[in-house]
This record gives sequence, structure tokens and C-alpha cells, in this order.
Amino acid sequence: MLTNRRKDALVAAVLVAPFLTIYLLVFVWPTVQMFEISFTDARLIGSGDWVGLDNYARLDSDPRFRTAAWNTAYFVLLTVLPGTLIALLIALGVSRLKGRLQAAILALFFLPYILPVSVVYLIWDWLLNFQFGITMHILDILGIERVPIMKTREWFMPAVAVVTIWWTAGFSILLFLAGLRAIPAEIYEAAALDNASRWTTFRRITWPLLWPVTTLVFTIQLIAQLKIFDQVYLFSQGGRPNDNMVLVYYVFQRAFQQDQGGRAAAVAVTLFVLVVVVSVLQFQLLRLAGGRR
Amino acid sequence: MTAVGMQRANFWGGVITVLTLVCAILWAFPLYWGVISSLKPEDEVVRPYIELWPENLTFSHYYTAVFDTQIMTWYLNSIAVALGVTVITIVTSMLCGYALSQLKFPGRKALWWLILASFMVPTQALIINHFVLISQLGLINTWAGIMLPQLIHPVIIIVYKQFFDQVPKDFREAAVMDNAGEFRILFKVYLPMNWGVTTALSIVTFIWTWNAFLWPFLSVTKTEMMTVPVGITQVNDAFGVYYARQLAAAVLAGLPVALAYLLFQRKVTEAITLSAGIKG
Amino acid sequence: MTISGMLKAAIVATIGFAGVAKAEETVVWWDFLGGGDGVRMKKMIEDFNAAHAGAIKIDATTLEWGTPFYAKVQTSAAVGEAPDIMTYHASRIPLAVEQGVMQEITADDWAAMGLSSADFAAATWDAVTIDGKQYAVPLDTHPIVLYYNKDLLEKAGMLDENGKPKGLDSREGFTATLQALKDSGVKFPLGSVTADGNFMFRTIYSLMGQQSGELMTDGEFLAGDNGDKLANALGVLAEWTKAGLQSTYTDYPATVALFTSGEAAMMINGVWEVPTMTDLNAQGKLFNWGAVELPVIFDKPATYADSHAFAIPANQGKEMTPEKRAAVLEVMSWMSKNSLFWATAGHIPANGAVVASAEYKAMEPNATYSTLTANMIFDPKSPLAGVAGPIFDVMSTYFVPTLNGEMDPAEAVESIKEELNAL
Repeated sequence: MLTNRRKDALVAAVLVAPFLTIYLLVFVWPTVQMFEISFTDARLIGSGDWVGLDNYARLDSDPRFRTAAWNTAYFVLLTVLPGTLIALLIALGVSRLKGRLQAAILALFFLPYILPVSVVYLIWDWLLNFQFGITMHILDILGIERVPIMKTREWFMPAVAVVTIWWTAGFSILLFLAGLRAIPAEIYEAAALDNASRWTTFRRITWPLLWPVTTLVFTIQLIAQLKIFDQVYLFSQGGRPNDNMVLVYYVFQRAFQQDQGGRAAAVAVTLFVLVVVVSVLQFQLLRLAGGRR
Repeated sequence: MTAVGMQRANFWGGVITVLTLVCAILWAFPLYWGVISSLKPEDEVVRPYIELWPENLTFSHYYTAVFDTQIMTWYLNSIAVALGVTVITIVTSMLCGYALSQLKFPGRKALWWLILASFMVPTQALIINHFVLISQLGLINTWAGIMLPQLIHPVIIIVYKQFFDQVPKDFREAAVMDNAGEFRILFKVYLPMNWGVTTALSIVTFIWTWNAFLWPFLSVTKTEMMTVPVGITQVNDAFGVYYARQLAAAVLAGLPVALAYLLFQRKVTEAITLSAGIKG
Repeated sequence: MTISGMLKAAIVATIGFAGVAKAEETVVWWDFLGGGDGVRMKKMIEDFNAAHAGAIKIDATTLEWGTPFYAKVQTSAAVGEAPDIMTYHASRIPLAVEQGVMQEITADDWAAMGLSSADFAAATWDAVTIDGKQYAVPLDTHPIVLYYNKDLLEKAGMLDENGKPKGLDSREGFTATLQALKDSGVKFPLGSVTADGNFMFRTIYSLMGQQSGELMTDGEFLAGDNGDKLANALGVLAEWTKAGLQSTYTDYPATVALFTSGEAAMMINGVWEVPTMTDLNAQGKLFNWGAVELPVIFDKPATYADSHAFAIPANQGKEMTPEKRAAVLEVMSWMSKNSLFWATAGHIPANGAVVASAEYKAMEPNATYSTLTANMIFDPKSPLAGVAGPIFDVMSTYFVPTLNGEMDPAEAVESIKEELNAL
């Protein structure tokens, strides 16, 4: 028995080792190092001198950090809840369809999610191009003055939010569809016998039974959007990146454009802590939601 | 339900269906517009009115994109990296998931928590130190360097563990009676019973890796080592007005994953729901 | 042929190949020349490769201009992955030297290239010299100029008998010309890169120079009335925006497209777009066009210019072989001596012998704007200056809102001053 258990442990060690090695190498070690260099004035490559909390203290009065933090929060606000609701609406619509038609329509909604971000960027940058974009022609036809969408502070974040929702909604739609399928048909049949209206059925049956999926979608979105970088970087090219700054972009700018590893790491640590805190909250929320399931 | 009530329900049902269809078409329109624009000559794409179909259909931008840029090299890089990440991630996750599911060993609980905790780690915050690490390993501008930080997808371990948990104990006991080793049991019993999961997870890992932008963008400084999504935005060999040409490159970049999705639609759908922790 | 004979032949062939392959040095080259001048550079690279077949081969890549290019260079050099040779803006050399991303070009190197300070104008030589050491080989000087659409100007009655724009002799005159173009139905009398402050820096800096304004005096930014001069410069452009005389929120490619499609009648841009016009014109796809020196809007003529130069990156942890270095030097030397063709890209070659040649002097439109060389001004020589450097970064952030009417010029100047002095 004892030898068996030792054998188990040995086998387990072999099975777990590859994953654990990679985990330590690419997760744990860099995290430790990130904290370490955030207290130094290191450049991107090479070590620096200890500067204590200087890098953090500077963030306080750093206008660009403030812009980055604000824009990140604003982006989360613009994408998470609206994105969840839009996906839910689409899922409700798609779930009514049957067979091949459903598969085809779902494919249309899902296809953007499958594309690389740079493809999404090139397509939308073209669509919204101030001089030649089709949206501008449509505005012209409608008699509305053209808006240089990706070049103004007012429109940049909302527009990137729209593009992001368009890009990622497919994922949420699938989750909602799975959730909808899991609701037993008998419940709806019973409601139909009771002559319940469409709205009552939704409010009394669909919405509460779908709640766990809704929280799941919502929190997945929340964590994902806090880490926004790609779209903002790409759409800011040839524009005004410093006005559109978000947290990951700021880490990138400090580290890779201005060669200030230490100061960049301080921003990275801030982001890291932020995501961990939100994740812990998420975990608690999911547990609550799980309780209701 | 009364006949009138039925009719009304059908009417509104019809309205919702039509709305959904219209929305779907609008939703896909940007994709259509991207493709169509890439098939127009450059002076046609900048015409000051909407032209839903090219007057002079041309594939010349595709020709340029294929032969005058390094896109073929980027394809090779993307395929190598995505395949490498997929194979390594699936295998290591499967092994780890199996151990967690079927074996009792010290530190099992701790490992489980470690995996759950890794959901919280924002890899975007680690870019600086990933770059330092990869350069210390001398792996900048290599496939291995692009792959390494992308090798961890904790959710895959969790999905495997869940599926292995569901395999009836009888199978394992019978195999143990036969004196089969753990590896034999895993590969001859557990893996074949979960081929569907493995395929689904592989497809989705491949797509995720193919689409990754930030890390490949940072860890590659040579154009010949770029992946497709990075290459098409970073390398500027164009001349004058070049909107259509860029869109052609975009279409080429999106094509493999779009095709993969259309071919394996059901598997991809399954994998996505699995990856969110919902069983399909 | 016997088997052993075939074998022998095969061995000889293999050795022969290996010998050739070994003798040929591949020089990895990065540039940021994406416009019409990029096409010219590609031709020069082809010519170089043809002339050095079997000996040296340039393996060239063009990256995104500006911040992306310099960020790539910087990180690549730090991890030993930089190219063997790169194009670099002279304005940014002080920053590059401070960061240690460049190798010195030694006296031996100059001798090997067969070039010396005597081959370049004093200002050009000085631009690549830091603390008495040279860090790059100047290729050209590239000022900005005013491009104009002759057809549209003629229609508006704004073209004189020499085919040059009328009335551009003062701020009021310039505005009046723009207004006349507007009245004649031109959508954008002036096409400006209003969405990207990096490009507007050059115009605005020129306008400051026209008032004898300076960015940096004794290490202080915008001291004294220099702030007001910047505000004046911004004011002119803001005024044109307000009056609907220039394109707003336009990025770089769109600006060029506006001009070449005839929607914008004039455009202030670098000479590097000359080949775009020449080529389109040759294909019969462009109107009659011209380019002149930036008009005097304030007190005296002044035009911003920068230099493209070739530099050797300092690859951390990697030693360049003497053979490779010799090949790189040959590339730089050849490019400098053959830069007459580069002049067709609109640029003014840095090599004095080339500029002195009769062929160059006959070249158009270069000859038309060649007078401006006397009025060129350059970036302050500081590690904070240069393309995509800290000054660029700060100033361009505030240019965009000002030029599009979101922010008052005076307010912008205050913020710029504050941020610059905090650098």
C-alpha cells in the first residue's frame, strides 16, 4: 500500500512536472521580477539602482498615468455591460431559429471573434476612415456632419468599444446559447399553457435561469477588458496615442518606447494588483452565482 | 391559448426573427466591405460614393500581398508557433489534469489552487519581464521565444480534470488489475474516451495562438520572424494610396482561421463553451 | 562520365558554392522609408546588390516610420538583435548616443569609405557629430515644402505667369489665397496632417523659426517670448482650421491622398513626397503640380529640415566581424556617392560632390526649391530632441487638439512648456 502511494506520487510528479516547470518559468518568476524592478531605475534590459517607492510616487502626479487609468475604467464601462446585454439579445434572437439557418446566422455573428485583432483593426479603420470610409458616406447621405471618429478624444473610446463588442460578442453569444439550451423545454411549455406573455416568460423563467451564465459572461468580459491594449494601440497609430492611453499601453510605452523598465514595472504592478483584486471579487461573485444555480 | 393570441405570438415571433436576420447581415457587413474593397483598384476604393460591387474587379492586391511582402514567411511562423503552442499546451495540460483527477499525491490541493490562482495573472502586466526572460534565454526572434509565454492555459487543465473525473472508475480498476502503467491507462483508456474534448481544445488553442498580438509583436524584432497578425500591421512596403492592398493582406491573414471555423463550426462552438467552464 | 568523375564534379560544385556563399556578406538593413522615396531606395538597393553580386548583398526591410521604428531599434539593440545598418534621423542622434544604440564611425572607417568632413556641408557634418565623434553617415537633407495643384490654383486665379502661387508673401496673403481657393469651390484649400502631431511639428517649428523663435535656450524650454512665438505659429494654423481652410483630423496617408485626388489644393509636406507626385504624373494620373519653398508667413524665411543618415547599431553582446563591418562601410560609402538618384526622391543629397554636379542642378522640382537651403533650421541638439524623441512626443500631444480647434493655442503652449521643462 505504502509503496503504491509512493509510486503514485512519483508518477504524479512526472505528469505534473512539465506544466509546473513552465508555470514557474513564465508566471511565477516574471511576477517576482516585476515587483523587484519596480523599485529600481532599470532600463528595459539590464539592472538598475534601488530607488525605493519613487516610481510609485511619481505615478501620483503623472498626467499620462491618470489618463491611462481613466481611459481603462471608461473602456470597461463602455464594453462590459453593453457587450453582455447585446450578446444576450442576439442569443435570444438566434435561439429562436432552427437547424441550418441557426448555424448560418450564428456563424455571421461569431465570425469576427475568430479573426486576429489586426484584421479587425484594418477593416474598421477602413470603414471609419474620415476621408474615404463608408460610414462617412452614409453620414453624408443622412446629412450629418462627418466625424473623425478615431482622431477625437470624445469618439475614440466609444468607437473602440463598439469595435470590441463587434469583435468579441460571438464568444458571449455562444455562452448564452449554451445557457438557453440548458433550460428545459417543459418549463416553457408550462408557461405557454398558463398564457404567460412573452415578456413575463422572459422575466420569470429565462432571465433567472440564465443568471449564472450572465454573471459568467459579465465577469469574463470585465477581466478581459481591463487588459485592453491591442485595439487601442492599433487605432492610435498615426493619431494621438497619448490621449488614448490605457494601462497596458502605458506599460508598453514606458518600457519599450522610452526604455524605462523600472517606471514601467510600477505601472505593471498597479495593473497586476488591480486585476487580482477584481478577480478575487469575481471569484466570490461566481460562488454566489453558483449558489443560486 | 386562443387563436388570436397564437396569431399575435406568431406575428411578433416573425418580427423578432426578421430583426435577427437583418442584424446578422449588418453584423457581417464590415467583413463583406473589407473583402470587396480589397478587390477594387486603389483609385476605385477612394471614390466619393458607395460602390457595393467593384466596377473593375481585380486580384492584383492579393498578388502584391503574396509576392511582394513576406506574408508567406509569416504564415509559416504563425503555423509553427500555433501548432507548437497547441501541442505542448494540450499535452502538458492533459498530463497535469490526469494526475489531478486520478492520482493521490502530496501537494495536490496546493497545485489545484495554483492553477485556479493563475486565472488572475494578467499576462499583459508581465510583458516587461517576459521580454527580459526571453532575451536572457537568447530566444528573441525565435519560434520558441514567441511560444514560451503563451504555453499556459489553466482552463484546459480544468476541463481535462473534469472529463477524466467523469470516466467510470471501473475502467481504471480493470486496467490496474491488468498491471497497466499510468501512462498506458491515460493513453489507451482515458484519452480515447475523450478524443472529442482534445480536438475541441486543440482547435481553440490554435485559434487563440494564431490571433495573439501583443506578445508576438513585442518579442519579434525581425520582420522575417513575425506572425501574420503582427506582420500585416508592422511592415510598410507600400507606395502612395494603399488601402485596398492592406485590406487584401488583412483578408489573407484572417482566411485560415475563418476557414478553420467554418469547417469545424460545431467543434469550435463546443470548445468555446468548454473553455468558459460550461459543458456543451 | 564515370561515377568517380561525377563525384568529383559534385564535390567541386559543392565547394565552389560554399566558397561563393562564404564570400558573400549579407548586410541586414532597416529603414523607415515607406513613401515614394521608399521606392527610390529599393531601386538603389537593387543597384547596389547588382554592382556587388557575389560580394555583398543588402537584405532590406521597411518598418513603420517614427515611434514604432525607433522603439524596435532600441529594444533590438539592447538584446543584440539589431540590423547591421539602419537609416536614422540626424535630429535623434544625440538621444541615440545617450542610449548607446549606435557605434561610432571612426577615422579608419571614414578612410575606408573614402569620405571625410570635406564631402559634407558643415551643418550636416555637425549634425552627426557628438563630442567630436561621428556616429552616422549623412545621406540627405530633407526640408518641408509647399506642394500645390496648378490646375486648381489657376481656376481660382491664384497662379502667376511663372506657374507659381500668388499672394503667399504674408500671413494675410496666405490666408487670402486659401480663401480664394475655398471660394472657387475647393474642398480643402490646404491639406494638413492635423491628426498626427508628429508631422505637424515640422511646420510649426518652421513657423517659429520664421519669427526667430527657439525651442530651447540654455537648457530651458520656450523661455521668454519663445512661448508667444509658438502660440503665434499655432494660432495661424488654428485660424485656418476655424475658417474651414484646411483639412482637420487628417492622418498622414489621408493627407497625401487628399492632395493627389485633387480635394486639397495645397499641402505642406516633406520633399520625400516628390516621387509620389512624379510617378503619378508620369502615369497620367495627376494634375499639373509644383513645389516651392515654404512661404514667409511671419518675419523671415525659415524651413525646418532634418537629415537621413546611415548608422551602425550597437548590438549588445554581439561583435561585428571585420568582414561584415567592411561590407557595411561599403554600403554607406556607395549610397553616399550614388545619391544623385536619391535626389529624384526630392531630397537634397548630403554629399557635396553630388550637389555640385550639373545633373543635380538641372533636376526639377529640386531646383525650384533649392534656394531654401540658405534658410534651413534644425532641431535643437539635445538627447530630448529628434523624431519620436521626448520633445516630439510632448509637443505632438498638444498640437492635435490645438490644430483641430479643441484647445486654445495659449493653453497648449502653457501645457507644453510645463511638460517640457519637467522632462
